Amino acid sequence: MPEFALVSRPALPHSPVGDASRVRIEALPEGHVLHVLAAGGRDITPEQLASLGDGTAHAVRRYAPGQWFVVGNEALGSKEYREKAARLGADAAVSDQSHGRVRVAVSGSGARSLLAKGCAVDFSPSVFAVGATAATLYNHIGIHVTRTAEDGFELLVLRSFAQSLWEDLSVNHGEH
Amino acid sequence: MTAYRLGQGGRIDRSRTLGFTFDGTALSGHPGDTLASALLANNRLLVGRSFKYHRPRGVVAAGAAEPNALVTVGSAGRREPNSRATMVELHDGLRAESQNRWPSLNWDVGALNGFLSPFLSAGFYYKTFMWPASFWEKLYEPFIRRAAGLGRASYHADPDRYEKVWAHCDLLVVGAGPTGLAAALTAGRAGAEVILADEASEPGGSLLFDSASVDGQPAGQFATQILAELATLPNVRLMTRTTVFGWFDDMVFGAAERVSRHVSQPLPGQPQERLWRIVAKRAILATGAEQRPLVFPGNDRPGVMLADAAVSYARRFGVGVGRKVAVFANSDAGARTAASLQAAGINVVALVDARVGHPAAVTVPRIFSGGVVSGTSGSRALGAITVRHAGGEDRFEADALAMAGGYSPRIHLACHRGGKPRWSDAHQAFLAPEGLAGLTLAGSAAGARTLGECLSQGAAEAAAVVADLGHTGTAAQFGAVDGDVPEGSVRALWHVPGGKAFVDFQNDVTVKDLGLAVREGFSDVELAKRYTTTGMATDQGKLSNVNAIGILAEARGVSPAEVGTTTFRPFYTPVSFGALTGSSTGHHFQPVRRSPLHGWAEKHNAVFVETGLWVRSSWFPRQGETHWRQSVDREVKTVREAAGLCDVSTLGKIEIFGADAAEFLNRVYCNAFAKLPVGKARYGLMLREDGMIYDDGTTSRLDENHFFMTTTTALAAGVMNHLEFCAQTLWPDLDVRMASSTDQWAQMAIAGPLSRAILQVIVDEDLSDENVPFLAAKTVSLFGGQLEGRLYRISFSGELAYELGVPAGFGEAVADALMEAGEPHGICAYGAEALGVLRIEKGHVTHAEINGTVTAEDLGFGRMVSQKKVDFIGKHMLEREGLVDAERPRLVGVKPLNPEQSFRTGAHILAKGAEATLENDQGYVTSSAFSPHVGSTIGLALVTRGPDRHGEEVVIWNALAGETVPGVLCDPNFVDPSNEKLHA
Repeated sequence: MPEFALVSRPALPHSPVGDASRVRIEALPEGHVLHVLAAGGRDITPEQLASLGDGTAHAVRRYAPGQWFVVGNEALGSKEYREKAARLGADAAVSDQSHGRVRVAVSGSGARSLLAKGCAVDFSPSVFAVGATAATLYNHIGIHVTRTAEDGFELLVLRSFAQSLWEDLSVNHGEH
Repeated sequence: MTAYRLGQGGRIDRSRTLGFTFDGTALSGHPGDTLASALLANNRLLVGRSFKYHRPRGVVAAGAAEPNALVTVGSAGRREPNSRATMVELHDGLRAESQNRWPSLNWDVGALNGFLSPFLSAGFYYKTFMWPASFWEKLYEPFIRRAAGLGRASYHADPDRYEKVWAHCDLLVVGAGPTGLAAALTAGRAGAEVILADEASEPGGSLLFDSASVDGQPAGQFATQILAELATLPNVRLMTRTTVFGWFDDMVFGAAERVSRHVSQPLPGQPQERLWRIVAKRAILATGAEQRPLVFPGNDRPGVMLADAAVSYARRFGVGVGRKVAVFANSDAGARTAASLQAAGINVVALVDARVGHPAAVTVPRIFSGGVVSGTSGSRALGAITVRHAGGEDRFEADALAMAGGYSPRIHLACHRGGKPRWSDAHQAFLAPEGLAGLTLAGSAAGARTLGECLSQGAAEAAAVVADLGHTGTAAQFGAVDGDVPEGSVRALWHVPGGKAFVDFQNDVTVKDLGLAVREGFSDVELAKRYTTTGMATDQGKLSNVNAIGILAEARGVSPAEVGTTTFRPFYTPVSFGALTGSSTGHHFQPVRRSPLHGWAEKHNAVFVETGLWVRSSWFPRQGETHWRQSVDREVKTVREAAGLCDVSTLGKIEIFGADAAEFLNRVYCNAFAKLPVGKARYGLMLREDGMIYDDGTTSRLDENHFFMTTTTALAAGVMNHLEFCAQTLWPDLDVRMASSTDQWAQMAIAGPLSRAILQVIVDEDLSDENVPFLAAKTVSLFGGQLEGRLYRISFSGELAYELGVPAGFGEAVADALMEAGEPHGICAYGAEALGVLRIEKGHVTHAEINGTVTAEDLGFGRMVSQKKVDFIGKHMLEREGLVDAERPRLVGVKPLNPEQSFRTGAHILAKGAEATLENDQGYVTSSAFSPHVGSTIGLALVTRGPDRHGEEVVIWNALAGETVPGVLCDPNFVDPSNEKLHA
């Protein structure tokens, strides 16, 4: 069935909510999310991890001891994924989570206040600087949050929870 | 008592008038009023009826501790019962109603209880409603329930939004009175992140009514000046209308902010209330002290109130609480109160000081040194008081009585994490426990007695905290305090003997009740509380507890130190369920997990069902099908005769990597996995340590060091945790790593005799039985190389079947393609219901059977349990006597003798002819369904020696529904028992 048009259905087919000057919630492109798991006793260097990314700043996000997510806006085909995974050889396994996890950007001067309505992390810049990342919750939903700019955050969420997260953020956005 | 609005003074805005109603009567007040001050200004003294005796009651306090003035405000969904009138801010259109009275506040039938009071003493419930026992449920309990309770909740839905928020700071200062302001200013100037929270609408605490001055400025003006400086500090956040209600582990404080309660409805976008979780590095309690009432005969008559409340109404709200005010105190607070009231232009007629030899520095017509108030009179409000003194008794007119019985530091939060308060003879009060890591007390919460002490302590504690946190700063200095009148010596006066003297106004507990508790053996403070109800309900004894402890101590002949306090627990004051719930209501009650094939299912008219957080397609009704069974029967038959497509994306999926992954799986499954070839799937049984089955699923070897495990939907997270636990703690030496990929894959089951032909349309490689045999598992190219997927030849239905996993975003497109390719073959979508029927027909188990009490042997998997492996989880406990007992319930099929009869899951199995009793119970039906192929209801059951009893007639007994159905036990594999179709 080679003629069949394959279309990927986005988990969050929504227009951005809010105004960038205050708080804006935006579903990011479903590009790639690579879950890197270092082999027992192997060290993965920041350079090795960065080499998997597409140059996007703060693409590498620590997830657990010896585990990282590497994210980017470009969707990868099977070949590209395999080629990237092979770069780390036996040092690490790479699990493709590009469809399993969805990224949501929260930005603007009120971003911290919106995040505080569901998230216990202290986002003051002295504690959670640009580039910092944490596995946490937004209300009852598990997220992985990264500060990508002074007033910019990215939430990585399991695809099945993405719609609920979007709704929770939108509800809490009301005040802004 | 005649209360009235003073001609001048107060912090109210006299230029504006607000209209409100109380019990339907239109009244007015000013911005800055509370409902209590506005009622007093309108000479509405009677505001409620007491709980037990329905005695007329008036306002006692001016803040959060108010026990009497509980009213219902608002209407419909915004109706708030048990609101303290002293905390309700007046706003235009406010509707308030009194409670606990019928037919009206002035003429209350319940007041007849007062005549029954000899019979309604402490513990009367326990003594009176005991016999006969059968009366309890039908008569006594409904009667008590009707009589008890104060306000009534609304049955309307709350139209407003609530939210929960986290905040973080270096220093949380609780209370924005003089101590808190001094602390916040000191820490703020030093650059610390400060949150200053105060329960009142206006910060300032006692400065708002204190007649002293600081550095030549009146106290109120001084507060304004400090607040102005705080407003310039971006690192200081002032939160008003915010009650810090609890101190929890890890320095988390709970606080409830009444965002919109002071207006008739929330502004757009604003919540009604907001619940804060404040994580503070340090905290200073600047919560002040609660003035105690005095316990004397007739002390509950409207018009009797706390001295500080009377001063507060005069100086903050511009209200005179009476035209002839008497003052009764056991310290210098009496003279101070008299002077403050006089300065506000209020007529003070008497000062009664319980102490001897403390001349008052005020001029009052009657001064009684060493006197006590021994009685009050008046109908529904105070008219006169009687003073007992060395020279006898005097009775004279007074329409308000201000009482000052000493101070109790507000130490509640400091005791929320288990610390016990300490009695101080010097303070005649309980002080906070010592050694509270991270939390200190300052000002009158710590026993300070003057404004000057409060200011300097607040500043000093904050300076110490910020230094400890690495900031540089010095304690804020304030000028001299003038007009500060300390309490002086306090005479312990726990009660004045005589008539009915109330200790706890809210619960109608008298001195006599506490004496009775002691005489009857309930003298321990915790028992006395429960026996008499003192210190219960909405005010939690803020005014009454210390007096009750003093009275218990006197009755027992010991010090209050020995009696101790009851346990302090959150919440400091009541917090609404709305705030605690936050935004998790209705549709947002809990998150919803959507399958990547949700949209596909919607297009096919799916009926959805919630399974845990997941929403799964249950069945797919077609035109003309009016009953779910029609759809499910059709789907089941179509799968067995042609093909069907089912969304199985919700099943747990785990990628397992590592050089030791095979060994790891060999240890977590009871059956062998070490030698599973690449490209093969195997059904695996995972046991718990106790030998019972934990979960099942298939695991495929995709590469030498890469396995793909599936779990049940319900235990996906549980199995992931279990594997991580095993890898990290049991066998850290193994090189194995796990990644959940449940959400990565849209997974479809394509089942039925025609499934191969349909699937072949989109799969690029040959799907013949030779190339893709039963239990094959491999990565395949799809749509001429456009996409890769994972193909597994596994079957839950017993038919020739495959599962195809594709990246989630492509799930819907691939399912569409398969439906298109299958259309000529008659494919249908089938849901979780048909899936259930298909698996029951084949005797395949789910967690209905894997119920936590079954072994592999019980389910017929005994031979799967490896005898060769050295070890695996559950191996050794499997040998327990009870787990190898031949009488254990084991899996068996069951069907009715008469196909027209049916039975339900949960029905029990009895031997034929046995009496229907639980003693004769032989097992129960774990799953049941109507099987279109068998032509009757069929079931799976766990029955004693089940597999040995195929063909035996039994009785299927449903005691709940009163049904008994003759049935027969049989092979649980109802369809194609030789599995020919599976291997086609």
